[in-house]
Amino acid sequence: MISDRLKKIICDELYLDPSTIEINDETEAPQVPGWDSLNHANIIVAIEKDYGVRFKGLEVLKCNNVGALQALVDSKVSK
Amino acid sequence: MFGIDFSKIPNLLLFDPNDPLLFGSSLFFFLFFGLLVFYRQFAKSNNARISLLIVFSIYFYYKASGLFLLVLILNAVANFLFGREMGKAETQGGKRLFLYLSLLFNLGVLVYFKYTNFFIQLLVDIQIGQLELLDIILPFGISFYTFKSLSYILDIYLEKMEPTKSFRDYFLFVTFFPNILSGPIDRAVDFLPQINKKYFLSKRDIAFGLLLIMMGLVKKIMIADYISLNFVDRVFDSPERFTGVENLLAVYGYALQLYCDFSGYSDIAIGLAMLLGFKLMENFNYPFKAKSISDFWRRWHISLSSWLLEYVFRPLQMGLRDWRKAGNITALIITFVLVGFWHGASWAFLFWGLLHGIYMAIGLLVQGPKRKFYMKYNLQNSKVLGAIQIFITFNLVAFSFIFFRASDFSSAVNVIKQIILYFKPSVFIQFVESFTPTFVLIFLGFLFHFLPSSLHEKTTELLSKMNIFVQAIILTIVIWLVTQVQYADLQPFIYFQF
Repeated sequence: MISDRLKKIICDELYLDPSTIEINDETEAPQVPGWDSLNHANIIVAIEKDYGVRFKGLEVLKCNNVGALQALVDSKVSK
Repeated sequence: MFGIDFSKIPNLLLFDPNDPLLFGSSLFFFLFFGLLVFYRQFAKSNNARISLLIVFSIYFYYKASGLFLLVLILNAVANFLFGREMGKAETQGGKRLFLYLSLLFNLGVLVYFKYTNFFIQLLVDIQIGQLELLDIILPFGISFYTFKSLSYILDIYLEKMEPTKSFRDYFLFVTFFPNILSGPIDRAVDFLPQINKKYFLSKRDIAFGLLLIMMGLVKKIMIADYISLNFVDRVFDSPERFTGVENLLAVYGYALQLYCDFSGYSDIAIGLAMLLGFKLMENFNYPFKAKSISDFWRRWHISLSSWLLEYVFRPLQMGLRDWRKAGNITALIITFVLVGFWHGASWAFLFWGLLHGIYMAIGLLVQGPKRKFYMKYNLQNSKVLGAIQIFITFNLVAFSFIFFRASDFSSAVNVIKQIILYFKPSVFIQFVESFTPTFVLIFLGFLFHFLPSSLHEKTTELLSKMNIFVQAIILTIVIWLVTQVQYADLQPFIYFQF
């Protein structure tokens, strides 16, 4: 389950209206309008800043969908 | 009997450095047809079918590369073991160890064969040492199969797949003959699961495979070879003997030649694989329809660009993410210089890669203002704007290909000088008159490229409704037609040298 907070960070970074965008566990980056390989890093930095966490590069590279990214955020926040 | 000189048969089957088994040759089609007959016979026994494919692949590679076959076998054995041990490692440190060992092995072998002389020359040029260049021959396909193997190791490391337990399957993945010499650089994660699937071809699969083979032959022999031998090579060999307008047409012609040569090869490879029951990854998607350089790289040599995106750009970008835009730009430049270097150890290739890195970096910098401008004037869906973007992108790409094609830096500069200083547009009419077939082929080549892509789908559909005998007749007619147009001996595929 993707939290509203994570969804909002992603949508803000991509200038999208969260109410018009569907993001679930299985959603992959290219399915979200504007989420391309170039601004991927911006989204990750925005998430890190908002949650006050720091990911390892490899941890992010292993995420193949938003569900995995949410799980990564959760694991960092609960620490 | 039948006028066949049987004493020549062993020669046909043995390694001959000047006579690899090219996809367009009649010997290849004869042998492939034989392979298909047995392959279908063995369809029920997976083991027999796969073993047959491995034997044919080994023979195919041996015919092109002789004893370098041993390097290929070593690659398969080593990476299978690295993958297996990485899978067994229980700690991240253990996995990392096998990753580093594999990188050291794969890149070490590649660098030795491909880049040793480049670095020796560099040392001599900057007068650090007095060294002799080594007599090293580049094994065919090494850049392609090394990257295939690395994708297997890297995907295990990134936990995208489990290592395979079957050495036979891994060996087939590495040596699979349709893509061994020039790609597509297929991924183990997509290829391995297909090996043990039941061999079944739908009517659509057969039509799809046959159409790709036919299109590949037409692209390669009717367009690429013809315009290269009759026009492009002559201009690039001595640009100063031609006017600017001819140089410009040669630059456009070369863009088409390179596309038809390489995508023609990929089409045939994907088509052959399809007839054997394997779906290889797409390698080209109408690249000259691209509206920006980043769009171009999503359509050109996709198996390489996606490889570098995944395994080079992304890790670099993540590591440099705190630099924000500067991090992205640094990662882009490094990735594209590597794209250039992958193609060959020369300054011209490095510059070609750097140029694309710079194009991409500029694209990134103007992305925001461009979007605002388009939104302000409501241009997002403008067809005129789309056409202008395609035109500009094509010219940027064609310009970069001057460095890709020219034998050295100074001849590339000569081409550009001729275009700027001696353009002489009136020569265009003379060119059309004296090089009519070349002009018609270049025109038709681009015309077909810009037709709607749905046409391909419709043709496949039409072909799939035809009887197998009608399909065979069409294939024979295309092969016959192609050989009629064939100007000289089949030219080696450009991407063989990489």
